[in-house]
Amino acid sequence: MHGVKRAKQSREAIEAKKKKEVALLADYRALEEDVIARKRAGDYSEEAFTLTTKLLKLNFEYYSVWNYRRQILERATFPNASPDKINEVLSVELTFTSAALRQHPKVYWIWNHRSWCLEHVPDGPSEEDPHGWKTANWNKELFVVEKMLDADARNFHAWNYRRVVLASLPVPRPPAEELAYTRRKIESNFSNFSAWHQRSKVFASVWETQEPGDVKLAKDAEFELVKNALFIDPNDQSGWLYHRWLVGDGADVSILSREVGVITEILEIAPDSKWCLDSLVHYKRLLLRGTPLGVDSRALRQECTEILQKLEEIDPMRRRRYQDLRREMDVEA
Amino acid sequence: MSSTLLVDKHVTYIQALAKNKDDLAYHLTTHLRMNAIYWGVTALFIMERPDALDRDDILDFVMSCWDEEAGALYFWSAFGANPGHDAHILASLSAVQLLATYDALDRLDTVDSKRARLVQFFLDRQNEDGSFTGDQFGERDTRFLYIALNALSLLGCKDDLARIADKTVAHVIRCRNFDGGFGAEPGAESHAAQVWVCVSALAILDRLDAIDIPLLAWWLAERQLPTGGLNGRPEKLPDVCYSHWVLSSLSTLRKLSWIDAPALERFILAAQDEEGGGIADRTGDMPDVFHTCFGVAGLSLLGFPGLRDLDPVYCMPADIIEKRGLRKDWEALPRRAA
Ligand SMILES: [Zn+2]
Repeated sequence: MHGVKRAKQSREAIEAKKKKEVALLADYRALEEDVIARKRAGDYSEEAFTLTTKLLKLNFEYYSVWNYRRQILERATFPNASPDKINEVLSVELTFTSAALRQHPKVYWIWNHRSWCLEHVPDGPSEEDPHGWKTANWNKELFVVEKMLDADARNFHAWNYRRVVLASLPVPRPPAEELAYTRRKIESNFSNFSAWHQRSKVFASVWETQEPGDVKLAKDAEFELVKNALFIDPNDQSGWLYHRWLVGDGADVSILSREVGVITEILEIAPDSKWCLDSLVHYKRLLLRGTPLGVDSRALRQECTEILQKLEEIDPMRRRRYQDLRREMDVEA
Repeated sequence: MSSTLLVDKHVTYIQALAKNKDDLAYHLTTHLRMNAIYWGVTALFIMERPDALDRDDILDFVMSCWDEEAGALYFWSAFGANPGHDAHILASLSAVQLLATYDALDRLDTVDSKRARLVQFFLDRQNEDGSFTGDQFGERDTRFLYIALNALSLLGCKDDLARIADKTVAHVIRCRNFDGGFGAEPGAESHAAQVWVCVSALAILDRLDAIDIPLLAWWLAERQLPTGGLNGRPEKLPDVCYSHWVLSSLSTLRKLSWIDAPALERFILAAQDEEGGGIADRTGDMPDVFHTCFGVAGLSLLGFPGLRDLDPVYCMPADIIEKRGLRKDWEALPRRAA
């Protein structure tokens, strides 16, 4: 159970609640027994299907009943139905589960059932338009996921599912649309690491096929975006993690030096920001690794040591890590 | 706020859960029963109270959840969460862990060779690309990959594990992110629970070299918040269960020193229900057996006095894993004297 406050209940209150539950429990038990007996007996009737709806509404996590429901559809409903009818049945399923998801946005089994439904949408409506139904359904699904992410912008079920939907669209969306979406999410809340993460994945695949010049332009724009986030809240780790992804292994020394400059600026307005300091050490160590011409490695090393000492003071929870890093640097020197 | 672990209360709390069978809540959670018993039993063993629940009752329950039908066409069978429930990998691991904890895996050596069919169930869950599904309906998740490896190694399937190791590791690597962590699927965001399953899976296969340890340990250490508790992802709330997954991962990576152990210990102890027993996700919330297990498990790794050692890779008593020759090179904090 997550986030359910502990309420002090008197013995009387508990007894009263139990009494109220007696009838409910008897109904539930009777329904459950009926459904499980039918499942065992291989009853794939419409009546059995209706009973699974009733039971699932009381308990959306009853995975065996979801399984049974799919068995009824696969073994009895679909074999005797036209594609038209199958499409219709599946839209009813999708409506049923979207109501369920609004109440229980983190129940795996509901998400699973939705993707199973979508995978079973038949070709149609016509030979000329074989992907019409699929496209309509997957597009609608994207809309549902966006609603879920409006309600909870960090719901990782919804983000993971979003990636499934995007990969399943019969006509893929241009990556620019996903970039615009993640940008909107980030701009409405810079702490939304899920959106930063998604953005990194989209860029990673886009950049694989782009010219180096275009990649550089896009990266510079990203550095600009994340810089804004870091200036607004230097203690929000989401932006710093994304920044670290952008810098990567620091092979581009000019970018690395430029970004060290940017962070030094941020440090001036937030001298005790541990994320600022930690990033600075990381990037300076990357600079040391390359030891490009004109870099005074002794001075850099000294700066890193001093920052690590400061980190030990302002972030004592993780002081052992900073000590380990210092020791590592001593060994390297 | 308590600075002691209320062992007696937690034991009573777990015992009561097994007894209150006329509760609506009991019946609404049958889909989790096998897991719940594993969480309860593991907590009891770690608190050195292994006899608090009746061994035979539990073993009989486990065997009563054997689902003969689900895989009949494919020559596999496995465990459901409760009698009459469908076979699923989640319930099946808990069943194997319970049998192993009570040293009763021989219950699978039946004339109808349950052991062989169960092994087949776990092996058949693997897809071509190395990923694993939870049942025949196809949900993929790195949780299931870890579960299969854990169960197969408890079942002594060394050769099978060696055979599938390469493609399994390749899939885990595809789920790795730039922050050093792992997600549920390729492309998915890093998440402490998924990190724990991937780190543990790689540990079971002796392939921790697939991890950038300083990077991942840094990400894990940054999960700790000023309250001492750890969260599962950046900018989220701290929670006893996430604390445990981060802690176990750090233990397997031998980087436990990178977080503030006393602060975490205080956070877990503060989440105890001092009246009714049990541990909650955080202080002031309703306790449940899931967080009770991971709270106690976390305290064990932190060297809390009087507890039995916990194996962070298998989340089972360490001596039981060691006896099966499965211990990996993890490191916990030394057990303190009471
Ligand atoms: Zn939790």
